[in-house]
Amino acid sequence: MRKSFYPKMAWSGISHNKKFYIPYFFTCIAMVMMFYIIDALSVSSVLVRIPGGETMQGMLNLGKWIIGLFTLIFLFYTNSFLNKRRSREYGLYNVLGMDKRNLAHIHFWETAITAGISLVAGLIFGIVFSKLAELWMVNILNGQTDFKLRIEGSAIRETILVFLVIFILILLNALRKMTMASPMELLRSEHTGEKPPKGNWLLALVGIVALVIAYGLAVTIEDPVEALTWFFAAVILVIVATYMLFIAGSVTLCRILQKNKGFYYRKQHFISIASMSYRMKRNGAGLASICVLSTMVLVMLSSTICLYAGVENIMRERYPRDLSYEVHVSAPKYLNEESEANWRQLMEETLQESHLTASDVLEYTSAFFYGKLEDYNFRMKDELIDMETNESTAFDVDEVYVAPLSVYNRVTGEKETLDAGEALVAVYGGSYENNTDTLSIHNDIHLNVKKVISNFKAIHMDGAVSTKVYYIFVPNFDEVAEKLAQYNMAQYMTENMENVYFKCYYGCNLDGSDDAQMAAEGVLNNKFAALDASQQEGIDYVRYESYAFNKESFYGTFGGLLVLGILLGIVFVFAAILIMYYKQVTEGYEDQSGFVVMQKVGMTKKDIRQSINSQILIVFFAPLLLAGLHLLFAFPMISKLLLLFGLNRTQFLAMVALGCYLMFAVCYIIVYKMTSGVYYRIVSVNNK
Amino acid sequence: MSILEVKGLKKTYTTRFGGNQVQALKNVSFSVEEGEYVAIMGESGSGKTTLLNILAALDKPTGGTVLLDGKNLADIRESAMAEFRRDNLGFVFQDFNLLDTFSLEDNIYLPLVLAGKNYREMHKRLEPIAKQLGITQLLKKYPYEVSGGQKQRAAVARALITHPKLILADEPTGALDSKSSDELLDLFSAINQDKQTIVMVTHSVKAASHAGRVLFIKDGEVFHQIYKGHHTRQELYQKISDTLTLLTTGGDRA
Repeated sequence: MRKSFYPKMAWSGISHNKKFYIPYFFTCIAMVMMFYIIDALSVSSVLVRIPGGETMQGMLNLGKWIIGLFTLIFLFYTNSFLNKRRSREYGLYNVLGMDKRNLAHIHFWETAITAGISLVAGLIFGIVFSKLAELWMVNILNGQTDFKLRIEGSAIRETILVFLVIFILILLNALRKMTMASPMELLRSEHTGEKPPKGNWLLALVGIVALVIAYGLAVTIEDPVEALTWFFAAVILVIVATYMLFIAGSVTLCRILQKNKGFYYRKQHFISIASMSYRMKRNGAGLASICVLSTMVLVMLSSTICLYAGVENIMRERYPRDLSYEVHVSAPKYLNEESEANWRQLMEETLQESHLTASDVLEYTSAFFYGKLEDYNFRMKDELIDMETNESTAFDVDEVYVAPLSVYNRVTGEKETLDAGEALVAVYGGSYENNTDTLSIHNDIHLNVKKVISNFKAIHMDGAVSTKVYYIFVPNFDEVAEKLAQYNMAQYMTENMENVYFKCYYGCNLDGSDDAQMAAEGVLNNKFAALDASQQEGIDYVRYESYAFNKESFYGTFGGLLVLGILLGIVFVFAAILIMYYKQVTEGYEDQSGFVVMQKVGMTKKDIRQSINSQILIVFFAPLLLAGLHLLFAFPMISKLLLLFGLNRTQFLAMVALGCYLMFAVCYIIVYKMTSGVYYRIVSVNNK
Repeated sequence: MSILEVKGLKKTYTTRFGGNQVQALKNVSFSVEEGEYVAIMGESGSGKTTLLNILAALDKPTGGTVLLDGKNLADIRESAMAEFRRDNLGFVFQDFNLLDTFSLEDNIYLPLVLAGKNYREMHKRLEPIAKQLGITQLLKKYPYEVSGGQKQRAAVARALITHPKLILADEPTGALDSKSSDELLDLFSAINQDKQTIVMVTHSVKAASHAGRVLFIKDGEVFHQIYKGHHTRQELYQKISDTLTLLTTGGDRA
């Protein structure tokens, strides 16, 4: 046979099945494009120069492999569908005298053509759109760039390599299937009459149980850290449940409906229920995939949008003041008027030199320890350690600050007064779980709690957003601090271990640019380093924090998450559209003959249209509705997870999630309209 | 009283790209009396299927009229056609045309469900029919689970359940083995005994020999007809094959 024979055969095979190949090409092109864009951004020299860009690139690098893996799975799925449609043709070739080797040649050329088209087109689109994506990311990071089109050679190489591997795997799989089938099997594979599935009670039940457990988890978990550990378990449970519900649950439901004769034997229900139960077994997987993909898109979009939009909030929780320092000393005696004034002086000099003015100044001294509240008593770190294994017995210790009452009054503007032995407890990131009036610290300092404030605004530095922080405000701070110091000293002597730290905090907001603020932090750092030995007495160490300095990495992280969320969202939406399209096309061909029969036995065209409508509507919108339900139940969990990032705006998240859902629903309806048109056209061909 | 009257039926097909006209039916006239069992025979391409499609109101004639129970099919609006078919005609097809999605029982109910009958009535109607056709035990099964003969019996039940004025059968034995064919033909005879009018299009001499009258169509016209009259089935069989021989060897009208 001539050399050009196989490519020609392959090409004619493709062009005769345009209806199936064009969407497949589109998908391949889109996948190549997305992969290239993400890859190119992750190595982009423009991004790496922009503050926060590196953080973003790390995230994109991860996303790249997620897309690669997803592409592999997804193209496998669509390709097996294509092969099923094509196998009749191959069977015929086989009967007409081509052996399996010839067929393998055609197969090879088909894959080669597909790979060629999708790589070339995908890379071209990728290069064009990567510029757009780059501009967008630079914008997110508040950076600058030019409008030059860049081509990332390494990204192109990697994209080609990854997709060649994917296409080779797909080809091998198709060849494996082909060599196993006989010509007759190939010829008939499309028309093997499938039996209507029996309702599988067990699977349906497992699906429901899995869903209930997952929803239960999502709703009951209170602790953000716990939410993180259980999140993936819940996700997997939901995915499993979705597949089982669509594959087995829907059939079971149809069977139940069929048992109800009065309901089932009605014109409006009869045909839809029967054909739904018939096709759910096969197409249930497709619907479940659509549902899972939709849910993923919704969860990703709403959480990343929320995070990005809330980045200022998150940062203010974490960095209450623009510029701050914290001096840690070994004993309360080092916290005196004189040294505090010295330190303050350094800050003031710094600001003066940097031409910045301070506002919202907050300065206070405090004693700090890690502790756990048990039976009205704060146990300290050393009390929580198992002496034999030297391991902590408590994993989730909280942070405790003891500070003068005046600090509270200054921050809140209130005028609380307390007697000695009394205290006011404020809690950040949680509530105070102690229902008695008394509170003690390592069973030594006893306090009467006069007032409790939950969800107090953070006033400390270096707040890890997920931990709970107690502020115990006392009127006689010096006394209490001294007691703590004595205890600390005793512990230090016996166990060589410090429990309590004494700090002086100074923080203020600034009026200058980010760059000026960052520079000021450096100046401050130098000034503290230049303190002479006498002035340094008692200082353990000093820490600085600049809001401006950390802004970049926050924008990098959350902007990166947002970009990734949107790009992955696009990929998943693409996948969902393709699944929908193929579903409609296959069902159209399946139903063609059925509708002819129904017309012959006296079904009017109107009946047919109505029955198609109700059926498609139910089948199509079930995934969307279930995705909505998933999102609803995922909501508490997402809001806990966002709490880990320091975002505490449930209402905002609810609005974003709802907005995402509505937008998604509109897109879904558009796609549904488009693809159901395809279905009508196929079904009505023989109906004239 | 004739239940079906066909007068001067013509059907011309124009090929897809215009130009060639194919005359499938030139001039067909005949009538069918109530309770009759008529077989229509002819070679492939003789216009049998076209005729049946027109009788079934699935296709429109180019000229001529079809009166069913005195009603002209051409007078029925397009939108009411499906309903008319459902209420007046029963169909038995060569390839059964059962829907895979339904059990045999549901397949049989289909026309009644479309007509909006309630379940109790449907069930009441089904019982005697299923018994007569011997498919009572099979009702819960799905088409893929039963044999061709059983499928065809279910299709017959579907045709009968609407109490149609006329049953139209298109090569009903075409896809059946000889044993199932015999059973089905006996069934048709039995149904016909109960005064059910049947018009059957067939290739099979054996099938036609069960009918009370056989019409032969050639080149779009009724070429000849044979009444069973007092003949036995064997005699009718012989006469049919003689006629067919004549038809194929191209002789003139006997």
